[in-house]
Amino acid sequence: MLQQYLIENREAHYRMAFSYTKNKEDALDVVQDSIEKALRAYKRKDKPNHLKSWYYRILINTAIDCTRRNKRIVLMEQEKMAYFLEKEDQYMNFDLKTAMEKLPNAYKTIIVLRYFEDLKISDIAEILNENVNTIKTRLYKGLKILKIELKEDYNE
Amino acid sequence: MNKLEDQRKIYEDMDIPEELEMKVRESIKRVNKKNSIRITQKVAVAVIAIFLFFAGMVNLNQNFAIAMSELPIVGAVVQVISYHFDTVENENVNANIEVPVITGLTDEGLASELNAKYYEESQELYDDFMADMEEIIEMGGHLGVDSGYVVKTDTDDLLSIGRYVVNTVGSSSTTFQYDTIDKEAGVLITLPSLFKDERYVERISEYLILTMKEEMRIEDNKVYWVREDDFYTFETINLNQSFYITSEGKLVISFDKYEVAPGYMGVLTFEIPTEVIEDLLVSARYIK
Repeated sequence: MLQQYLIENREAHYRMAFSYTKNKEDALDVVQDSIEKALRAYKRKDKPNHLKSWYYRILINTAIDCTRRNKRIVLMEQEKMAYFLEKEDQYMNFDLKTAMEKLPNAYKTIIVLRYFEDLKISDIAEILNENVNTIKTRLYKGLKILKIELKEDYNE
Repeated sequence: MNKLEDQRKIYEDMDIPEELEMKVRESIKRVNKKNSIRITQKVAVAVIAIFLFFAGMVNLNQNFAIAMSELPIVGAVVQVISYHFDTVENENVNANIEVPVITGLTDEGLASELNAKYYEESQELYDDFMADMEEIIEMGGHLGVDSGYVVKTDTDDLLSIGRYVVNTVGSSSTTFQYDTIDKEAGVLITLPSLFKDERYVERISEYLILTMKEEMRIEDNKVYWVREDDFYTFETINLNQSFYITSEGKLVISFDKYEVAPGYMGVLTFEIPTEVIEDLLVSARYIK
């Protein structure tokens, strides 16, 4: 079941990895390392209730570990966070195409998981090991930065 | 226009490298394979009968005979010579398997038992490789197996041989297995045999986890799987974790590629300071 899931969803997993590593080689490494971890964990422990959020926790942790190696990326993330915290209320003239790319991972991951991977807020909280309110706040902020106004209720 | 939909589309239009599917399938295959080899290896040790076949093979092999004749005869000195198992080579597949052969051990029984195990494992590796070959060629991938050995320690008392298998299916994985022999007593030293009881598992694991975390703290380019919030973390060594003993009498614990860290970290070894395990040792004969 896990193997089939890994094969079928490989592209989504690659995209998620890439959004952290920003380069192909590291993204492929993250995909492979995550598979090694997942298959080993699967044999060793109780089977996860919810495969998708279980696997995304592994994938994202592996991706974060990978970016640790590349100090430049980590610094960039910190600068971006600082920038967004400062200029929160100012108008940011982003090209829509690159808006998502420029978004710090802390916000971007949540938007990707919620709207592109169709995960529930509670699942995202589980994946990122944060409480539901933190996730909601960050999601709202991320959307605000992107100047996206939602008609739907993001709280679900 | 829905901006979120646009973003979703941009995200989903991301270039996917061609090799992704191959890499995913290969990783899955590799993890599955590792387990099947482990199981059969346990069985293999018991199949000493294979040795008869092995002895016949080796005697027929000219290179082996020449190598044997070149060895100086110096009493009970242990010699490790290699026997080239087989080589297959073409553009997409290659196998290179070298088998160590131990000679000159006072205890002939132990030597033949080990030699039989080495041969059996190599045979298995080779058969496995041949079985995979067709499938991999069909998939259009690359398949390689490179197996050999290194003599880690060779003192008056001790011999540590590490045998490695590098499996290349796209990217490579490496496993290392060691045998440490007390030359004088003619016995194989296992990890549990060094200690009074099983407390060493916890003691060594705790030491390793602390060491890994500390190394990660100091050096940015080091990553071990010791995050507390992950679903796969290094928690404990196995009762029979791969190990060897250095010529200075230090215990070294070894991990295969992907066992405790991302692939780029490779095969990992950690020397355990003797004071960490001193009180648990049976004696100071091997570990000093």
